[in-house]
Amino acid sequence: MSDKHQHNPEEHFREQHLMLDPMPRGKMNDMVMDSMNTTSWKFWVVFAILSAVVAWGLFYSWGKMILEGLGIAGVNRPSYWGIFLVNTVFWIGISHAGTFISAILRVFKAEFRRPFTRAAELMTTFGLVQAGFSIFMHMGRVWLSYWLMPYPNQRGLWPNFHSPLSWDLLAITTYLLSSTMYLFLPLIPDMAMARDRSTGWRKTFYKILALGFRGTEGEWTHLRNAMNIFAFAIIPVMFSVHTIVSWDFAMATRPGWSSTIFGPYFVVGALHSGMGAVVIVLGVVRATMKNMKYFIRPEHFEAIGKLMLIISMTWAYFFFNDYIVQWYGGDKWTKTLLHFHEAGPMGWMWFGMLICNIAIPWAVLWNRKWRSTPWIVGTVGLFINFGMWFERYIIIPVSLSINRMPFTWRMYQPGVEIPLGIGTLAFFILLYMAASRLIPLIPVWEVQEGQMAHTLTKFGRETVVTVSELE
Amino acid sequence: MTTIDLNLIGAKGALVEEAEGKWGMVIDQDLCTGCQACVTACAMENNIGFVGEEDAGYGRSMHWIRIERFWEGEYPHVKMTHYQPMLCQQCGKAPCEPVCPAFATVHSQAEQVNVQVYNRCVGTRYCANNCPYQVRSFNWRDYTDERINAAIATLKNQFNPDVTVRRRGIMEKCSFCIQRIHKAQDKAKSENREVADGEFTTACAQACPADAIVFGRVDNPESAVAQLIAQGHGVHHLEELGTLPRVTYLVGGQ
Amino acid sequence: MTNEKSLLAVFSDLEPAADAIEQLRHLGIHDDCMNVISGVPVTEAMLGRPHQWTNVPRLAMGGAILGMATGIFLAFVSPTSYEIQVGGQGFAPVPVSIVVMFELTMLGMLLSTFLGVFLDSYFPNYRPMHYVPEVSDGKIAVLIECPQADEQKITDALKKLGAESVQMAEAQHL
Repeated sequence: MSDKHQHNPEEHFREQHLMLDPMPRGKMNDMVMDSMNTTSWKFWVVFAILSAVVAWGLFYSWGKMILEGLGIAGVNRPSYWGIFLVNTVFWIGISHAGTFISAILRVFKAEFRRPFTRAAELMTTFGLVQAGFSIFMHMGRVWLSYWLMPYPNQRGLWPNFHSPLSWDLLAITTYLLSSTMYLFLPLIPDMAMARDRSTGWRKTFYKILALGFRGTEGEWTHLRNAMNIFAFAIIPVMFSVHTIVSWDFAMATRPGWSSTIFGPYFVVGALHSGMGAVVIVLGVVRATMKNMKYFIRPEHFEAIGKLMLIISMTWAYFFFNDYIVQWYGGDKWTKTLLHFHEAGPMGWMWFGMLICNIAIPWAVLWNRKWRSTPWIVGTVGLFINFGMWFERYIIIPVSLSINRMPFTWRMYQPGVEIPLGIGTLAFFILLYMAASRLIPLIPVWEVQEGQMAHTLTKFGRETVVTVSELE
Repeated sequence: MTTIDLNLIGAKGALVEEAEGKWGMVIDQDLCTGCQACVTACAMENNIGFVGEEDAGYGRSMHWIRIERFWEGEYPHVKMTHYQPMLCQQCGKAPCEPVCPAFATVHSQAEQVNVQVYNRCVGTRYCANNCPYQVRSFNWRDYTDERINAAIATLKNQFNPDVTVRRRGIMEKCSFCIQRIHKAQDKAKSENREVADGEFTTACAQACPADAIVFGRVDNPESAVAQLIAQGHGVHHLEELGTLPRVTYLVGGQ
Repeated sequence: MTNEKSLLAVFSDLEPAADAIEQLRHLGIHDDCMNVISGVPVTEAMLGRPHQWTNVPRLAMGGAILGMATGIFLAFVSPTSYEIQVGGQGFAPVPVSIVVMFELTMLGMLLSTFLGVFLDSYFPNYRPMHYVPEVSDGKIAVLIECPQADEQKITDALKKLGAESVQMAEAQHL
């Protein structure tokens, strides 16, 4: 291995790093179009199964619930909120990873982000769709949900902006629109590329979406300017969205909920589960789509794995902050709640959360070789997602079981939430599969831009990577 | 001299002063026998649906007032404590109010109680989560529809025409029998007089055989309620939360 | 008809394209009569082109102000029509209003940035335009408007500098 390194450092770099392994743009375009246009029979089988699951789990079950009422779900007194809210927070959390990768990594000029920004942004948009479904599911009279919008009317009705749920509406709408726009802007040049290389219905589809983009200086300037503004502006939006979601709980007077650290705690938790989901998605895309092994390499998993480790440590920091302050205070209701978390019937979930969120990442992700192995990082990501789902379950239905009126304490048992939750997961995967064959998953122009900026230079005897700042 | 509208700039104090309020209740936990006559009377007065055995066992009973029973000690040396009738405390600073995104639970400035607007509720249930007394009931199903609940078919005949019948997806809670308050106020107004203390009372107070519940105007020092409160032996539950409840509990000797 | 001709020269790399643009300037073509179409954003500086102005930042700022105004309206002005008392809080408390104002400011800014791209680039544009599909394969195309008389001279000069092809630019549907 070291021999190979000494005799052929260039070869080594080229193999490891996408940015140092440039191919002619035409060939890369070919590869991306090929992977988009190829579907095997396995793809269609999975698509059909998922469609069936969505039809049963999402549409049928939801229709039944709208007709019969929330009685067929598991919510009761005192757990008025259950898995619907857990799923809402979970999906919003997943959606934050996309913004982290496409915005924060862009702002910090982390070049390794280039091939997978779009794959991550797709997760944001589709995750927010599932979050939207989940939040509408939990409403008692969902057909009147438009009353939460401020529109002029003759009945003297107006929404209440004191309520965190109204802030939620504004924040999630802003975030959904912003991240869809941020997904679309860098997509325009790739739509133009796809338009130039397609025929038939695909050509019409791409032609419409490409908006007549050619790549003139003016168009690139406006686009890049807008993308810069978006990258910087969407970061505070991202932070504010999950903070506002956390305020749904922090503004309440419940023991365990009225915690001032919920804002940052939830944001970090969102990044935690989101990054875990990104590696799973990238692993699946790499394994199932043609030519993806060129674009998404072990170096990317290694880099994301490092980020996952840091975020896991940050999450542990915030979790401990929240826990120790509650524990130390000695308030009898809070102490009872903490005891219920650890030693109650759902104690296994609490420990599972800590093992999945802290123990497993810390045990695995420090090792560079393991971090560079897609299936290992993907498995850690899966565990993290379980752990974060457990965390939200502990915070919502389990914490709601203990309040200041002991006569009302009761366990929460999920009912129709289970098929509905499975339905949202299936719908997410379904949307992603459809998108992977409708739009190019790799932003080829950004990859080429990055490859243009990377060179190998000799410093004395050592060959190093140099990145030029082309912007 | 310029006056500042304290309401507009959000000074809580201004509203609190006014919130000493009109209607209040005193519940004497020493007198309460736990007979649940108040629960029954409330259910009949306010058209509360019957949820059935299964849902009741799962914590979905719709009762606006409940008798809480506790005991101390381990079996066989168990001692009963006071029965605790728990109902909506009609808080002066109700935590349930600011969190409803649709303004479906607001503070009535006329009666100074916390009102629930049924036809505005979209069922987010944030109010119920935020109520420290857990006294809000949610219509998980159409409990007053006989297709869901066969027992209702005949019981519908006794529904009170003064009170709305709620459908699924709506939050409800004790309203201090606001329909009776309005009826008495209307009658008094038509006779050009004030409502006399004891002229009417809430269903629960009316039904209680031990007279443990007393209802009336707390801002009128002559009323029975105000006199009981003035004796100074009353407590407010969860007082440390600062909700300014309108229900005073007399918990004496033990 | 004018005797202006439109030429499209395709280059496969940055250096020849930059040289060509310099040469074109020597040949008397003004910067305004040239346009560069590329598959990756090449900054103006790399090709020696003048700075390209854009309205997007100003539109973004305008959108942010509009958004903030909407937020202020919703948070402070609209409650004056709906004086509903909840939870002992004032009618228009400041902490709550900050959340509303922030979200709407950001929404205004981002929506107007997005629309700014459309406005500045005249998107969507489905009319026939000068273009070659090779551009999206990484080639750099230079679109030149020149008087008919100079056409041959320019074509030769560009071919000498390494243009892959120099042809008459035809506006075609993309």
